[in-house]
Amino acid sequence: MQSHDLIIVGAGLAGMRAALEGVKAGIDVAIVTKIHPLRSHSCAAQGGINAAINPQDSRDSHAFDTVKGADYIGDEDAIELMCHEAPEAILEMDRMGTPFSRIEGGLIAQRAFGGASFNRTCYAADRTGQVLLHTLWEQLVKAQVKVYEECSVMRLVTDREQAIAGVVAYDIKTGAVFALRAKAVLMATGGYGRVFLSNTNATTNTGDGMALALRAGAPLADMEFVQFHPTGLRTSGVLVTEGARGEGGYLINALGERFMSRYAPNKLELASRDVVSRAEQTEIIEGRGINGAVFLDLRHLGADKILERLPQIRQLSLDLEGVDAIHAPIPIRPTAHYSMGGIRTDKYGASPLHGLFAAGEAACVSVHGANRLGGNSLLDTIVFGRITGSHCARFVKGEKLRDFAASEVAAVKGNLDTLKSRPDQGVRPIALHHRMAAAMNLHCGVFRTVEGMREGVSELPGLREDYQKIHLDDHADDFNIDLLRAVELGHLIDLAECIVRGALAREESRGAHSRIDFPERDDAVWRKHTLSHWDGAKGEVILSHEPVRTLGRAEYAPKVRTY
Amino acid sequence: MSAKHYTFRIQRNRKGPDGRIASRWVDYPVSATETTTILTLLEEIKGDQDGSLTFRQSCRSAICGSCAMKIGGRTRLACKTHVGSVANADGVVVVAPQANQPVLKDLAIDIGPFFERIHKIQPHLEDGPDTDAVLEQSAYDQVNHVTQCIMCGSCYSDCVMAEVTPEFIGPAALAKAFRFVSDPREGQKRRRLEQLSHPHMMWSCARCAMCVESCPKDVKPMEAIVKLRTRGLAKGLDAGPGPKHALAFHQDIQQTGNLNEFTLMMRTVGILGTLEELGTAFHLMKKWKIPSPLPHKSAGLAELAKIYEILEEHPLDVETKAKEVVPE
Repeated sequence: MQSHDLIIVGAGLAGMRAALEGVKAGIDVAIVTKIHPLRSHSCAAQGGINAAINPQDSRDSHAFDTVKGADYIGDEDAIELMCHEAPEAILEMDRMGTPFSRIEGGLIAQRAFGGASFNRTCYAADRTGQVLLHTLWEQLVKAQVKVYEECSVMRLVTDREQAIAGVVAYDIKTGAVFALRAKAVLMATGGYGRVFLSNTNATTNTGDGMALALRAGAPLADMEFVQFHPTGLRTSGVLVTEGARGEGGYLINALGERFMSRYAPNKLELASRDVVSRAEQTEIIEGRGINGAVFLDLRHLGADKILERLPQIRQLSLDLEGVDAIHAPIPIRPTAHYSMGGIRTDKYGASPLHGLFAAGEAACVSVHGANRLGGNSLLDTIVFGRITGSHCARFVKGEKLRDFAASEVAAVKGNLDTLKSRPDQGVRPIALHHRMAAAMNLHCGVFRTVEGMREGVSELPGLREDYQKIHLDDHADDFNIDLLRAVELGHLIDLAECIVRGALAREESRGAHSRIDFPERDDAVWRKHTLSHWDGAKGEVILSHEPVRTLGRAEYAPKVRTY
Repeated sequence: MSAKHYTFRIQRNRKGPDGRIASRWVDYPVSATETTTILTLLEEIKGDQDGSLTFRQSCRSAICGSCAMKIGGRTRLACKTHVGSVANADGVVVVAPQANQPVLKDLAIDIGPFFERIHKIQPHLEDGPDTDAVLEQSAYDQVNHVTQCIMCGSCYSDCVMAEVTPEFIGPAALAKAFRFVSDPREGQKRRRLEQLSHPHMMWSCARCAMCVESCPKDVKPMEAIVKLRTRGLAKGLDAGPGPKHALAFHQDIQQTGNLNEFTLMMRTVGILGTLEELGTAFHLMKKWKIPSPLPHKSAGLAELAKIYEILEEHPLDVETKAKEVVPE
């Protein structure tokens, strides 16, 4: 059986950053990823990455903005850590070769972003994620890190003492199922955007790491907090960066009004994302949209600025929406974008399950609380990739390889064979996925009602039942994407259950979780994290709660959140 | 916009028990508006008609580089290609895997050999600065286009040189190399240019511009290759047939305004190399395609001299404007 000190699942920014830390510490680290590292969805981040690198800005101000943006449910120790480590993390990426845009004088350029009290979002035009991802991949190649490319993890394996023993992986290229033993496993698998029908995410964003962790006995936290990005393209949901508003773009309704003045009179378009998405949804519901969309208007910025700062999104709007942003407003709507929830960890990325770690969107550290600020997700991946990677390296030095039962591999093979050989009972995976994702959009969207969420919960048993009936067209061993998607659909259903149950239980409105029946935030009862656990006996998700990690600073005390 | 009927003619590839790929063409009818993307329709076919249809895709927004494939005879990203722009007059859209690379299954190729080529140029900043770099605003003007590369492989798939010379490193790797050669923070520019002067590297490009045409991200690999060559020559790296050919070409044009193809051969590959090509020369002679060996001057030579003058005053922009952070 092949073994490593540390296995990192996922090769986006968090995973690769952590791997480099492992190499530096001299441990044997390997990455398992279902797509080539450069295909990771980190590349789709456009607008930028936050850090207080300007002497007139401060790390404390960044931390305060983040605590407030999180609607007072972020863990304050982790937020301070992230904001304080941010400048060094960015400058380190710069030294590795990231071509950040510059201002006159040679320093890294920064732009305005939502919910921030300073222009602290560093960027490389509108493809910041792509250049960061390529830079880390370059370093990964240089460090010669072992990468199991196009291999998907099918199971997290624990020993009798409920400690991590390794993973069972599936080589997509050949269909081989194999064991990888490890002293620790770090989940850096990103988010689960595909739970929702309309989303900004890659089709590969199926929250595999969260679902595997849940089934292995690790709790997920705050899954009800789903960020709806204010500017997803109307038809495809593909992302248009917040940087477009940071550069001065307006949001207008069908009447041509800059409607944000009614919802966030000070920050207008640059209020935090939950606020802007609710405003847009309200405009649409009240009939001031067109075909379910409002508009992002960049025309007044002029062709030169658009082509220099936002060239990619201009091209995307042309390709996917047929609209040239230089001459016409872009139709956009709130679209599922980011998971504030994830595998519950402390500020070093350690989960309660011995030997399991998580970083990036897959983790709930929690630095984003109930609403993530734009520019903080790239930062989260770089900072906590680094911190968790080095923490894992320390952890594995005191650990031995645990018992890994051979039956685990056989069990995975058995499951895959069952899926492949199941007869046609008329349930196509794509139709089931569509049904689930449409229900989640309907019942767990920007505004949530008790009836809708109950309806969502009541659909779960039927979804699970039909999942046992899906059949595949592809019965081959090699490159069986049909099979892979069926497995991913199983993960999505688990995560959908965590989201809808968490949302139904949380009887308040906070950040991105907005209930019609409980429109106010309730700090007395609900300033706490939701934990989701898998109950194997019942075959469903059950909930518990735990307090927010606070530091008792006066400036962090909950206040009414206005922008 | 109203929906139209299209036929997707897809090359289905399966590996047989002998490890060889067996290909067949299968037609799938779809109905879509002209601006629907190829990826959307491939997903529809996979979802509703045949779940075993295999292709790579991920971001849906032309930034991850997964879904490059041959569509209508050219390599394109399925996620940004409109069906109406690639269907023929009968509404047929021909879809096949990328060329110049081994096929795994249907539209999915083995991406290993492509990335091995990228690895060959040491795709990472070498001996960069230890301290924070203060760079001029224009520092990346030279590399901006090449940092847009998403490694989708379109250029390599459409590269005519790769088709006939599999050893050729290819446009993407050379564009990536230029990204470092032109970065003011890079500390190994000369060594890189030396390596790039080896056979099958920057001098093997035929400058047909297919890579510029097929790139979905406007990387312009050929432009990067030309700049690499200019910088190599400027550093005195003029050994080998590639640089010799370029210099001989340059000399002829400047002096006579005409190419002396008769002596060009000799100056590019030397006497022995020329002897090896005598057979070809003989064939050309039979067809009356051997030009006169006697040099003759073009009419507008004075005008040509002016062009050279202007070019020398305003040389081709190949150097970064920013001060080098790591002096060589």
